[in-house]
Amino acid sequence: MVRSQSADSSEYEDQTPSREVWANGICMKTSEVEAKLDEGNIQEAESSLREGLSLNFEEARALLGRLEYQRGNVEAALHVFDGIDLQVAIQRLQPSFSEKQPSRKGRSRGDSQHAVSQHSASLVLEAIYLKAKSLQKLGRLNDAAHECKRVLDAVEKIFHQGIPDVQVDNRLQDTVRQAVELLPELWKQAGCYHEAMSAYRRALLSQWNLDDDNCSRIQKAFAVFLMHSGVEAGPPSLAAQVDGSYVPKHNLEEAILLLMILVRKFYLGKIVWDPSVLEHLTFALSLCGQTSVLAKELEEIMPGVFHRVDRWNTLALCYSAAGQNKAALNLLRKSLHKHEQPDDLIALLLAAKICSDDSHLAAEGVGYAQRAITNAQGRNEHLKGVAIRMLGLCSGKQATISPSDFERSHLQSEALKLLDAAISLEKNNPDLLFELGMLYAEQRNLNTALRYAKRFIDATGGSLLKGWRLLALILSAQQRFSEAEVVIDAALDETAKWEQGPLHRLKAKLKTSQSLPIDAIETYRYLLALVQAQRKSFGPLRSVSQAGDDRVNEYEVWHGLADLYSRLSHWKDMEVCLGKARELKQYSAEVLYTEGVMLQGRGQVEEAMSSYINALLLDPSYVRCKILIGALLSKRDSNALPVARSILSDALKIEPTNRMAWYYLGIIHRVDGRIADAADCFQAASMLEESDPIENFSSIL
Amino acid sequence: MSEDCSSSEETNTPTTSISQDTFTTETTTITTSAFNIPPETPSSSSSFNTHLAIQSLSSILTTVSPSLLSQDQDPAFYLLHSPDISSQVSSLLRLPDSGAGDNNLCRWFYDTFQSSEPQLQLVVLRFLPIIAGLYLSRVALKKPLAGFEAVLLAIYAHETTSRAGQAMTVNVPDLSHPSIYHESKKPAKDNDAADLNLAVISPSLEPHGTVRSTRRARIVGVALELYYSKMSLMPVRSKIDFCEFCKVWSGQDGDDKENVEFQDDQGNVGKESVIKEGRIALPWELLQPILRILGHCLLGPNKDKELIGSASAACRSLYSRSLHDINTQAILATRSLLRLSKMALDPKNNVDHTEIPVTDVISL
Repeated sequence: MVRSQSADSSEYEDQTPSREVWANGICMKTSEVEAKLDEGNIQEAESSLREGLSLNFEEARALLGRLEYQRGNVEAALHVFDGIDLQVAIQRLQPSFSEKQPSRKGRSRGDSQHAVSQHSASLVLEAIYLKAKSLQKLGRLNDAAHECKRVLDAVEKIFHQGIPDVQVDNRLQDTVRQAVELLPELWKQAGCYHEAMSAYRRALLSQWNLDDDNCSRIQKAFAVFLMHSGVEAGPPSLAAQVDGSYVPKHNLEEAILLLMILVRKFYLGKIVWDPSVLEHLTFALSLCGQTSVLAKELEEIMPGVFHRVDRWNTLALCYSAAGQNKAALNLLRKSLHKHEQPDDLIALLLAAKICSDDSHLAAEGVGYAQRAITNAQGRNEHLKGVAIRMLGLCSGKQATISPSDFERSHLQSEALKLLDAAISLEKNNPDLLFELGMLYAEQRNLNTALRYAKRFIDATGGSLLKGWRLLALILSAQQRFSEAEVVIDAALDETAKWEQGPLHRLKAKLKTSQSLPIDAIETYRYLLALVQAQRKSFGPLRSVSQAGDDRVNEYEVWHGLADLYSRLSHWKDMEVCLGKARELKQYSAEVLYTEGVMLQGRGQVEEAMSSYINALLLDPSYVRCKILIGALLSKRDSNALPVARSILSDALKIEPTNRMAWYYLGIIHRVDGRIADAADCFQAASMLEESDPIENFSSIL
Repeated sequence: MSEDCSSSEETNTPTTSISQDTFTTETTTITTSAFNIPPETPSSSSSFNTHLAIQSLSSILTTVSPSLLSQDQDPAFYLLHSPDISSQVSSLLRLPDSGAGDNNLCRWFYDTFQSSEPQLQLVVLRFLPIIAGLYLSRVALKKPLAGFEAVLLAIYAHETTSRAGQAMTVNVPDLSHPSIYHESKKPAKDNDAADLNLAVISPSLEPHGTVRSTRRARIVGVALELYYSKMSLMPVRSKIDFCEFCKVWSGQDGDDKENVEFQDDQGNVGKESVIKEGRIALPWELLQPILRILGHCLLGPNKDKELIGSASAACRSLYSRSLHDINTQAILATRSLLRLSKMALDPKNNVDHTEIPVTDVISL
C-alpha cells in the first residue's frame, strides 16, 4: 500500500507546477508555499496561505497538511496536523449540531449556520483522517487506529441519529466513508484482531450512510477476516439484534451470510461482479459440506458472468459432492458435448468416476475414461494413472452386466490389466490396492485378493473399515472362518463403539456359518442393545454427522436373525423377526425372499412362490429369488423346465459365481437328459462352493 | 532430570480429569512415572509451571542457555517464539524413533500440555504440525508411535472436555429471512431455525483412551481444529512447518507438473526426483481442518511472504491430490483457495480505497 502510494506521488512530482489551492473563491499556485514547506518553514507557509486565501488558522493548517500529504511528505504532514488542536475543534463542533439535530423544525432556521458548521466539521475530520493515514504510512498503526477511531467517534457525537441522507456535505461524507473503511484495516494491520472485529461490526451495523461499493468492500473484507483470521468473533452486541432478524452465531455463519448478501447485491445490479466473492463463498460452503446450497447460488447467477461450461462443471462438482451424482452426470454430459469442451480432463474424470459406480452407466464411463487418457498429456500427464484407473473400474463394472461370457471375461481381464497399469503409475495410492482386491475377490481369485487386502490394510494403517471387512470376507470365502473371526476382532479393536455395527453383523454371520447359532444369537442380541443405546444417545446431530452406513442398522439385525432362525427351521421365531424387519423396511425384496423361504419351509409352496415373484417385482435383478423360483419350477412337470432354465441362466448372467444357480441348472440339465451339461454345471457349483463369502463382496461398498 | 520432572497428574496438575480416565495401557509408560516434587508446592502458580517446563526441557535439549530462566520477557512467550529452541526441538522430533513411548521429548510435550497452563499449551500446539505430520506419515511404516499418540490424545481429550463432546454446527443462512445485515420483504413471522440448513463442521466427540486406527484421522483432525483456533498466536515458522507437511501428506508434488492454471511464477521444474513418501489417506475429517488452516495462512490478516509461498505450494499439492482422488468437495475447496491466493497477488485487486484522490487542485 505504502509502496503504491509513493509510486503515485513520485509520478506526480514530475508535474508539480500545475498544483493549486482553492478557497473562498480564490485560486493560488502552491509552488511558493511548497518552497517554504521544503525549507521547513511551516509557519511562513501557513501565513502565506492565510493571507492569500483569507483563511483562519485551522483551515490553513488543514490545507497545508493535505498538501504535504499529497506530496508524499507524510512526516511533514503529521507535523502540520499536530499543530491543530483537533480535540478542541471537535468539541466546538458538537453543540452546534446536537442542539439542532433533534428538532426538525429548527432546520430551516439555521440552514446557513448549519452549512458553515458542516464545512468546518468536514475540514477537521479530514484533517484527523489524513493524520491517521499519515501515521499508517509511517507504520505507527496503533496510533493511526486511535486517530481514525476519533473521526468516527466525533461523527457519532456530531450526528446523533446517523448521518442524514440529504444536506450533507459530500466531502464530509467521503471522509466518513473512508474512515469507516480504514479503521478495521488499521486494527488488522496492528494485529489487534478483536478491535478489528468490533470495528467491522460498527462499520456495518451503524448508520454511516455508506454507498454500495463502500459497504460491499467492507462486507467482503469482514467476511474474509471472519473466515481466515483464526479469531472467534463472538455474537454481535445485543443492540444490533433487531427483533426477528437472523443473528449469526459463528464466524463461518456470519461470513457466509455476508458473502451471500454480496452475491445478491450483484444480482440486483448494485455492485459490479467480483469473482473473489464467489470463490470465498465456494470455499466456505464446501468446508461445511453444503455444496447443494452452493449449487443453488451458482444457478442463480446471471448468464454472462462466467462461461456456461465453467458453470456446468462447477455445478457438477457441487452436485457430486452433495451426493447427487445423477444431476452431476447430466451437467457433465452437456459440458463434454463435442460442441462445448469435450477435452476437459477434470470433467472427463469426474464423469468416468460417476459412471463407474453404476453398472448400467459403465459403458458410457469407459468412453469418458478413454478420452481422459488421451487428454492426460503435457502438464496433466500426472493424471494419466487416474484416467487408467477409471477405465479399469468402468470396465470391471461393465463386465458385471455383460450379456456374453466371452465379453465378460474379456472385460474382466482388461479391468485387471488396467488397474495393474494404474498402480505402476500411482504407486502410493492405496485405493488401487483395495480396488484390485475387490476385483480379484469378485472373480474368486481369492489368494491374490487376499494379498491385496492385506497390503491395503498395511498401507492405510488399518484406518479404513472397508479394508478389514474385505479381508474378513475373503477369508470367509476361503472357508477360513476362525481366521476371519480373528480379523473381525482385530478390526473391532480399532473401531469406536458406534462404528462397530457392520463388524458385529459379519461376526454373527461367521458364527452362523460355523454352525454356532447360540453365539450368533448372542452377537445379534448385542447388536440390538447397541441399536437401543444408539437411539438414546444420538440426537439429531449425530445422524447428520456420522456416515449412514457406519451406523448399526436395526433392520439388518432383524433380517440377519430371521435368516439364522430359518437355518435352524425355527419358523415361529423367524416370523417374529421378519415382522420386525418389515416394520423397518416395508418394500424390500430381501424380506419377501426370506418370507418365501419360511413359507417354503412350512410347506406352503404356492405362497412361497408368490413371495418370490413379489420380491422380483420389487427388484428384478434379485438373484436369490430367481434361483429359488428356478428350483421350485424344476420340481414341477417338464413343461416348466425351459422357464426354470431361462430364469436360472438369467441369474447366472447377473451373478456368474453363484453356486446355487449352477447347481439347480445342473439338476434341470439332468432331468432333461443332458448329462454332460449337467456334469459341467455340477462341477462349476462344487468349485464355487469352496469360495462363497458369508456376504456379498459388493456389500462392502 | 527428565525422569524427575515428568509430571503425574495427582501431584501437579489441577485438571486431572482430562487425562486420567482416557489413558490406558498403551500410554501408561508416560503417565505413571514418579514425580519428586512434593505435593504442597504452589503448583497453581503459572510461572512455577513455566519454569518447571523450561527446566525439564533444558535437560532434553543439548544447548539451552541457562540464562533462559532469567529472561526478562515472559518465559512462556520466549519458549513459543525462540527460533533457537524451536529448531532444536524440531530436529529432535524429526529423529527416526522420536515417537516412541519412552521418548523424553514426547513426555515433555505431554506433561507440558497437561499442566493446563494456556501459555504452555500454546508451546505444545506450536509443534503440533511436526508431531501430527510425522505421526501420520509414519503410521504405515510401523514405527513406535506411542509417544506421539499420547500427546495427540491429550490434545484431543482437552478439546473433548472443552467442547463437552458437542458437535460444532453452522446454520447456513437463508436470505429470505431478514438478518442483522440485510432486510427482507418476507415477514419474519416464523424465525425458527427449522428451514435453515444445518451443517456439521465438526461432529460430536467421544472420549478415546487409545488411538484406534479408524479414529486416527479424527483425533488428529480435532487436534488440528484446536491448532486452528489458536493460529493467530502461532509463530510463522510453525505454520510453515504445517504447510510443508501438507505437501508430504498429499503425496503430490504440486510444484512442477501442476495444472497450468495454478503454475507458480518460478515455473519450478526438475523436482521429479522428489521421493513421494509419507502420503496419507486424507478423509474429510482430516482434510477440512487442514484446509481451514491453509486458508488462514493464505488469506489471513498476517501477510508473511514466505508463509504465503509455502501455503500456496501446499495448496497446489492438495489440489493435485484431490484431482487424483476425484474428491469433488476437496477439488472445490482447494481450487477456490488457489484462485483466491492468485487474485490476492494481482495488483488490480489491491487498490487502496481508503486513499484520498490525488488532485492538482486542492480546495477547501
